[in-house]
Amino acid sequence: MIKEVHETVIWHWGAMTFHGKTLIMTWISMTAVLVFCYLGVRNLTSGKPGKMQNVLEMIVDFVKSVVADNMDYEKGRPLLSYLVTLIMFVFFSNMLGLIPNFTFGLLHDVHFAQLGHIFASPSMMSPTADINTTMALALLTIFLVVYLGIKTKGLHYFHHFIEPYPVFAIIHAIDLLSKPMTLAFRLFGNIFAGEILLGVILMLPGIWVLPGILPTTIWLAFSIFVGAIQSYVFVVLTTAYVSQAVSESH
Amino acid sequence: MGGNPIQFDFTVPATILSFLLLVYLLSKLAWKPLMKMMEERRTNIESMLASAENERQQAEKIKREYQEEMRKARHEAQEVIAKATKVSETRASEILAASHEEAEKIKKSALVDIQRERDRAIAEVKSQVADLSVLVAEKIIRQKLDLKGQGELIEQFIQEVGEMQ
Repeated sequence: MIKEVHETVIWHWGAMTFHGKTLIMTWISMTAVLVFCYLGVRNLTSGKPGKMQNVLEMIVDFVKSVVADNMDYEKGRPLLSYLVTLIMFVFFSNMLGLIPNFTFGLLHDVHFAQLGHIFASPSMMSPTADINTTMALALLTIFLVVYLGIKTKGLHYFHHFIEPYPVFAIIHAIDLLSKPMTLAFRLFGNIFAGEILLGVILMLPGIWVLPGILPTTIWLAFSIFVGAIQSYVFVVLTTAYVSQAVSESH
Repeated sequence: MGGNPIQFDFTVPATILSFLLLVYLLSKLAWKPLMKMMEERRTNIESMLASAENERQQAEKIKREYQEEMRKARHEAQEVIAKATKVSETRASEILAASHEEAEKIKKSALVDIQRERDRAIAEVKSQVADLSVLVAEKIIRQKLDLKGQGELIEQFIQEVGEMQ
């Protein structure tokens, strides 16, 4: 059944394989974020902002407050661009899987990049419903944590691995490894499960189609909620991990 | 591919690159200018608040100055009025005194005139009476002179006239 909901489309390039559907959806999400932001910054003004600029400023202020709550704001300022992009990308990605497939089968016979297969399912797909995407984002977070830790503290950053005793290095290593794992699997699990259930509801047999409107609506609403919460959680945890790495107490 | 949804492949680096591209594009095209604008607005509002405070203080100062000036002006006006009142009072009393004096003078000269007129009138009357009495005497004498026995009467009359003088 999982296979039926998300048919994995594999692209081959040399010896490398890619999840074509995930990448296509990632790029659709990126385009959506770019268009959204373009609408916001089209008529930038320091006076009375337009509606879209106001929305973007609210998002930026929101992420700013998240950063300011977790760490010294001046230290977190360079991260702000990354974090705002992250929260928007994850949120748009989570939402993408809830949007019906509006290609109406027009791409059915397109063999280029197997687009016909990619746009075969009844809904679009969240890129975050693929562990590859969430793992990529989580790895970036951990790279960022280690990089900023070394940047602020130099080699002294590694000192905290052997605190209070060298034997604790094992625990610290597990801690460092578990951070991207939990980040990736939490987001993936939430969104993937949501899409599976959405697909299952959509696969109800014909007689259930009309009564199925109600559970679909409820589940879509709940998925919007979950998607928003998960994007927030991802950003908050990234901020928290970074603040742990750059804070003075370690 | 089976039913296992957890399969890692080169999608991970591809996604990392895509996402980093997105971060780069957005931070260059959206967040930097947007945050600059927000910062600009912040400083704008700050400076506006500062200038408003400044202007308020200035207005306060000007108001205080005006009040001070008004107070001074009122004070001066009162002084002027007081001075004018005093001047007019003295002037009035002077005028009154002068007019009293004038009146006194006029009265005195009038009295002198009256006295003189009266004296003159008396003198005139006297001389007229004397003339008249002489005339009367003449008439009587002319009527009665020829009448005898009137001698003592004339005598008496002449005597009386003489006493009058």
